[in-house]
Amino acid sequence: MNYVPGTSSLIEDIDKKHLVLLRDGRTLIGYLRSIDQFANLVFHQTVERIHVGKKFGDIPRGIFIVRGENVVLLGEIDVDRPCDTVLQQVSIEEILEEQRLEQQAKQETEKVKMQVLKDRGLSIPKADNLDEY
Amino acid sequence: MSESEQQQEAEKVCEPQWPENGGEWSDGEEETSMDCGLLQAMADEDEEINVHNEETFGMDLDAHETTGDPSSSSLQFEEPPPLTVPPQPDPKPQSPHCRPSPPRQRPQYPHWRGRGRGLGRGQIFEDPAVMRTVAGRPSLKSLDSAIVDCGSAMYHNIFDDRMMPSYRKTRRGTGSILQDSAIVCVIGHRGRGQHLNSNFTDLQYPGPPFENRRGDPRGSYTRRQFGSRGPSQMQAPIVPGSPLFTRQPLTPRRPFNQQTGGFAFPLNRPCPSTPQSLNPKVMQLRFGANSPRPSPIHSPSSNPVQQLRYPGPVTQLHPQHKRLLSQKQRIFQRKCDGWDPYCNLMTAKEKEWITRLQMIQLQSENPFLEDYYYQEYYRRIEAKMAEEELGIRGKREPLKLTTPYISKTYSYTPVVHIEGSLGQVAVSTCYSPRRAISAVHAVQAQGPHEEPKDTRQQRLEILSKIEKLFVVLLEVEETARMKTTVLSEAEEKRLMEKTQRKVEHIYSQLQHHHPLDSGVEFLPFLLVSKGKKLLARLLPYLKHDSALKILRIVTANLPAIMSRDADEALPVLFQSLRNVISSLSFSQVIGFLKDLTSSESLSMYECLTLACQNKFGLSLLYAFLSQGEKLLSSGAPLEPCIGDFEVWIDTVFQVAAQLSQCSLVEPLLMPSNLLSLFCRYLDKRTVHQLKSNMESATGFLALPS
Repeated sequence: MNYVPGTSSLIEDIDKKHLVLLRDGRTLIGYLRSIDQFANLVFHQTVERIHVGKKFGDIPRGIFIVRGENVVLLGEIDVDRPCDTVLQQVSIEEILEEQRLEQQAKQETEKVKMQVLKDRGLSIPKADNLDEY
Repeated sequence: MSESEQQQEAEKVCEPQWPENGGEWSDGEEETSMDCGLLQAMADEDEEINVHNEETFGMDLDAHETTGDPSSSSLQFEEPPPLTVPPQPDPKPQSPHCRPSPPRQRPQYPHWRGRGRGLGRGQIFEDPAVMRTVAGRPSLKSLDSAIVDCGSAMYHNIFDDRMMPSYRKTRRGTGSILQDSAIVCVIGHRGRGQHLNSNFTDLQYPGPPFENRRGDPRGSYTRRQFGSRGPSQMQAPIVPGSPLFTRQPLTPRRPFNQQTGGFAFPLNRPCPSTPQSLNPKVMQLRFGANSPRPSPIHSPSSNPVQQLRYPGPVTQLHPQHKRLLSQKQRIFQRKCDGWDPYCNLMTAKEKEWITRLQMIQLQSENPFLEDYYYQEYYRRIEAKMAEEELGIRGKREPLKLTTPYISKTYSYTPVVHIEGSLGQVAVSTCYSPRRAISAVHAVQAQGPHEEPKDTRQQRLEILSKIEKLFVVLLEVEETARMKTTVLSEAEEKRLMEKTQRKVEHIYSQLQHHHPLDSGVEFLPFLLVSKGKKLLARLLPYLKHDSALKILRIVTANLPAIMSRDADEALPVLFQSLRNVISSLSFSQVIGFLKDLTSSESLSMYECLTLACQNKFGLSLLYAFLSQGEKLLSSGAPLEPCIGDFEVWIDTVFQVAAQLSQCSLVEPLLMPSNLLSLFCRYLDKRTVHQLKSNMESATGFLALPS
């Protein structure tokens, strides 16, 4: 029951299974056990899920405490619903390997892109080097 | 009960209850309370109902504080209300629910105030029932009749050591913030600050007002209250005779690990982390019916924060409602236990605590400013429900967010500040976000006598000025909206003066953009769409002359304004201007029409053409004509000046010619008496032509034939 009409709160989400996306890109799935006023979250039976293409792998992590400011989004998982079978679960080693490969590929393309731009005299500055807002 | 017994009981109560000691939070308390039986729960509830009723409905001054002893009850108050209320039939549980101590009677702490004062010790009071009176220090109540009830906080000061009253709080089994006496002190002292300033400065406080077990000095802490007042407190309308707790009822201490955003009362003294032995149960802030209300609407059923003794205006759940809620909660909890062994790691108390914090975070003094959309939404829902069900009232009030009334201070400091920089970090990343840019033009360094600024800078200046004035306007509107509350004469007058001053300030600022500016007054602001909005909203508050001035500026510069109205924001001005127009006299109308049609560069014909092709211009023209016609046909004495009628007729003809020839746009408002105006002066054929032209513009038969 929502004690505070017109607002939303994490209180109703307690003890339910959630998926949370963090600012660093990690995806955690776990039971939300406790919160506080900063939306710091305590997850139980947490699993870090890595997605690469159509494959995913779960790394069990145990108990996680997430600082509220690092949460991008948080959503409840309906345990009763059958999950889509589009994604294929693989072992941890495999998914980590896949991830590494993906990162590598990305870096390669980035390097090529930068080179091409440099050749043309253009540069797309990275966020760190930006002078103006 | 002797003092030693009181002290013992007081000691027993000393337990950590603050969130820091969350681990020790008394789940045990909860459980045992449930064991203690239904009867007790019922008794509690009855009592809570009493409390709730008092706090909601007012002045049952002393229901709590009487004891079984009639002598002390007669010592209560000096004041007339001879509500020496009969001691409650169901004495409140002073001890926590499951203390084994059977005496559930109140601790007897005689109110050594008021009456006792004039009489010497041991003197016989006139009432034969009184056994003994003691001279006490003047109580807040006696000194200031505005204070309905000053909770325990002040008592410490008043009593000597040995008369240490034992204040038990009623343990309702939840983590009430008020269980912490440190906060109670805050409440007690902050709330009374304003009055006390005048009354107490000459009182000698012999030492720390609070003698507590630990001997923590609280003197500096409390004295600070009297001196320093946040600006928010000062704004409270001081209604003589009304209690003063509303401003600072509660500032939770700062035990949280992370900064909770700066409560209005920064604690800069070492707070003991556990409450003192003097339990602030008696910290019941009661308020009369006149207490100023911080939020406009209170729906009694919506406040879930049950246990707190907040000042009256904050609504609380009725105890029966509370019971139902907690039952529901329990059911839900039990259901969860079956399949999830780890569920309920977070106790109900903790959840409530969070909810309470969230409420605190949500509360604001100016909800229409800070939470506009919710307020608007709620208002619309209410309006809709009021329409729908005029019959069934009271049951289905929509839930409204009502928050405890606590002042907060905001301060935004930039996350990264480099010494010597101009405040803006060059790099903005997600790890060090930059402070939000405020549209401050960089011209501040320049003095008033400088070279002409380029247009971009000027525009920035104008924009920033508009923003600032808008804030002032919002304040004006807010006061106008709040005028419905009950204020005393003097208060209201003062408020009105203040509002008027603000209005004049805005007006004067808009009038001259720059002190040396020789340009047209108001014009720069009229060219910005937000400026138009600002003026439109300001017009109702202006005096007649000022409003006329603005109207004059608009009509005189109509071509320029119309041509530079890229966003089509002009229509916002129409309604307010129309209201001004409807108050004009005939000569004034003529004057304005002359302004409208005579521009420096354009002929009358051109002016009119332009006006007719712009929605706003056309509507304005119609409005003037309509007003003139209204005055003419009303038969009231017009007192026209010489030449007025000629101008009038001339204008009418010109306008008619225009209207019949060029294509018209749809006006914002089509006055109904225009045709009759034209009928009066023109022949039938022209009128007919006019009519068809106008109708085709408006798209419907707006005019009576």
